[in-house]
Amino acid sequence: MTPVLEVRGLTKHYPGANALEDAGLVVEAGQVHCLVGQNGAGKSTLIKCVSGAVRPTSGTVEVDGEPLPPGDPVAAFRAGIATIYQELDLVADLTVTENLFLGHELHRVGFIDRRASAAAARELLGRLGHDEIRPGALVGELRPAQQQIVSLARALSRRARVLIMDEPSAVLDDQEVEAMFRAIRRLTAEGVGIVYISHRLDEVATVGDTITVLKDGRTVASALPATTPAAELIAHMIGRDLGDLFPDTGSSVGESVALRVRGLTRRPVVDGVDLDVHAGEIVGIGGLVGAGRTELLRLIQGLDRAEAGTVEVDGVVIRPGRPDLSVRAGVGFTPEERKSQGLWPGWSLTRNVSVAALGRFRRAFLLDRRSERDDARTHLRSLATTPDDPDRLVAELSGGNQQKVVLARWLLRDCKVLLLDEPTRGVDVGAKAEIYRVIRTLADGGLALLLVSSELNELVGLCDRVLVVREGRVVAELAGDELSEEKILEEALAR
Amino acid sequence: MTDVMTQPSASEPAMAAARRLRVQELTLPFVLVALVIAGAVIDSDVFLTKDNLLTVLTQASVVGVVAIGMTFVIATGGIDLSVGSMLAAAAIAGGQFEPSGSGAFIAATIGFAVLLGLVNGLAISWGRIVPFIATLAMLTVARGLALWMSDKTPISLTFLDTVRSLGRDEVVGVPVPAFVFVAVAAIGWVVLNRTRYGRHVVAVGGNREAARIAGIKPNRVVCSVYVLSGLCVGIAAVLLSGRLGSASPVAGSLLELDAIAAVVIGGTSLAGGRATVVGTFLGVVTFALIFNLLNLLEMPAEIQQITRGLIILAAAAIQRRDR
Repeated sequence: MTPVLEVRGLTKHYPGANALEDAGLVVEAGQVHCLVGQNGAGKSTLIKCVSGAVRPTSGTVEVDGEPLPPGDPVAAFRAGIATIYQELDLVADLTVTENLFLGHELHRVGFIDRRASAAAARELLGRLGHDEIRPGALVGELRPAQQQIVSLARALSRRARVLIMDEPSAVLDDQEVEAMFRAIRRLTAEGVGIVYISHRLDEVATVGDTITVLKDGRTVASALPATTPAAELIAHMIGRDLGDLFPDTGSSVGESVALRVRGLTRRPVVDGVDLDVHAGEIVGIGGLVGAGRTELLRLIQGLDRAEAGTVEVDGVVIRPGRPDLSVRAGVGFTPEERKSQGLWPGWSLTRNVSVAALGRFRRAFLLDRRSERDDARTHLRSLATTPDDPDRLVAELSGGNQQKVVLARWLLRDCKVLLLDEPTRGVDVGAKAEIYRVIRTLADGGLALLLVSSELNELVGLCDRVLVVREGRVVAELAGDELSEEKILEEALAR
Repeated sequence: MTDVMTQPSASEPAMAAARRLRVQELTLPFVLVALVIAGAVIDSDVFLTKDNLLTVLTQASVVGVVAIGMTFVIATGGIDLSVGSMLAAAAIAGGQFEPSGSGAFIAATIGFAVLLGLVNGLAISWGRIVPFIATLAMLTVARGLALWMSDKTPISLTFLDTVRSLGRDEVVGVPVPAFVFVAVAAIGWVVLNRTRYGRHVVAVGGNREAARIAGIKPNRVVCSVYVLSGLCVGIAAVLLSGRLGSASPVAGSLLELDAIAAVVIGGTSLAGGRATVVGTFLGVVTFALIFNLLNLLEMPAEIQQITRGLIILAAAAIQRRDR
């Protein structure tokens, strides 16, 4: 029998990074095929290539043996590929029925046939075992789980052959997940092939029929049975030697606690976090996307207001919700979303570097622009930024060098604690090693660093100590011999 | 060898600099030169006289001072629609102190404008009301205040010699309002380009979240630009009242449109994060010259209005292409 979806040799090169390299995926009709891999393994790029949202560099996607034109979402849609993204793409202010038939409304002589639409909607929801959802209800008033069902029904209404679900369980509780699994079973009974992406390996074992593992954009294991033990899957997801990507972990850890966090809470994302970072120490924070890692950094910096708990820098308590005081006390933050939160792309390097420390260039109210430029260049050079011409626009730099610009900003500010959120996101491998070296040098210089990363090898290779966060709490502290990729993933996934 | 090596690197910053020079920064001076030539061709006897050009600058001064404040507001990605009404309300508020003399009038006018600007700023920054709506509300409130406080009649300032001379006199051959306009523009340029505060204004306009992470207080910066706009409105109110010899509750109507148009054709981005005081100055002068020419040509007022609209449209189109 021809598989309902067959992906062969899929490759996608971005400037400076290869998201996919000769990846493959075969989905049989009526099967739930699970796609697993670390963050950044290429899962999202793969499904975007399949749904036509992204045009692959090379490779083929076939539905029922018919090749799809690359990068053509309409053709993919017509061929029967439906995708349910993490952020549901429903219109909150329209009714269930209107959402189900959005773009392919049932009509009679140009007018929407409301009665037939409602009946068809009721029938679709019934087929998924959810006739408790009223077709006339506004989608915005439904619970997230019900919205998910509406998304499924919409895929069904479009006679989807392949349904791609990206982390569908992320917003659901256990019972709701059960209900969604039942709905999925009804779809597969009708011969739909399902691509199911999830971080929760227990779910994969429950709902899946077969498993494909992606790592660094390659398919490293395919057609594994759903009964494959979690440990084996994790081994596939990691399996790599670190090489000399990382500098030696230094012995620079000092005695004094530079950053002390106690009971930091903002429900439901962060719940009672305690942590210490010493001067000269690199502490990593591991965990899944959505476990509360970024939120934790934002709370420490005061970008969001904590409900409870304290943040101390060198023994001085910082008032919550005041990033300006936090910066003044010596805390720097490099956000994951560099472009939208870290940089002014249309500004020169000088201005991007000096923006947090303009006070030091003030001479009788006016800025001393020469020393501003000179100091910016000094710090850019110390981080080996290329180009280091302080008059260049930051938008002209590569991702890795843009990251150095943000780092230089905090060095110029003389900060004591640096919070790094995914410092190597969007940075190619060569530049990564460079960033790692810079981070280690900063620690050797006595800076306290707290680093959030989705890349396990980064946590293990770079950090002196790693805290694993799950559902807003620190669930494990790993150091020394205990610190391994397997251990981090195990703690992050456990329920 | 070294020559070969240095040549490309030397031209690189120059290229980058050229890329950064935006279309408008080149366009406006050209337009100005073209206007002057056109004026010379049409009627050189009148147009090219010193008196006429100073008249242009004087007529531009009220809009000009307001437009400098507006440049700061737009630099943060905001807008101030209330400047015209605030001008009238401030002048009327000052008029209440007419018996106490010029000093009281000036202090009350500027003080009241700053107060109204502060209300705008607080509503927009901590009150989280969209600038368009907050200042639209102030537009009607301030106009209402002006009419109410004045009982719908202008207040004569005939006896305030200092105020009147501010609107009419000349210093070394240059009318005082033109002086004030140039001075406000110069101060505005220094503040925007050479102070920490000015850098914070464009930082907040360009990327509010990044500014916050860098330790800047966005609310405080946003609030301050509306206060600054109020201050400029207050100065403009004194100039206008002095020129007219009275404080009128209907003064300054549609002033906001002229000010915003001048800022935008000057090259300041409505999206925020990019502002040029020089551009605003040139924008104000360009507009004034165009009307001066149209007047010399004895074009009727309605044709002038249509022309104004077309200029704004053309400028916006240039700005769009420039992105």
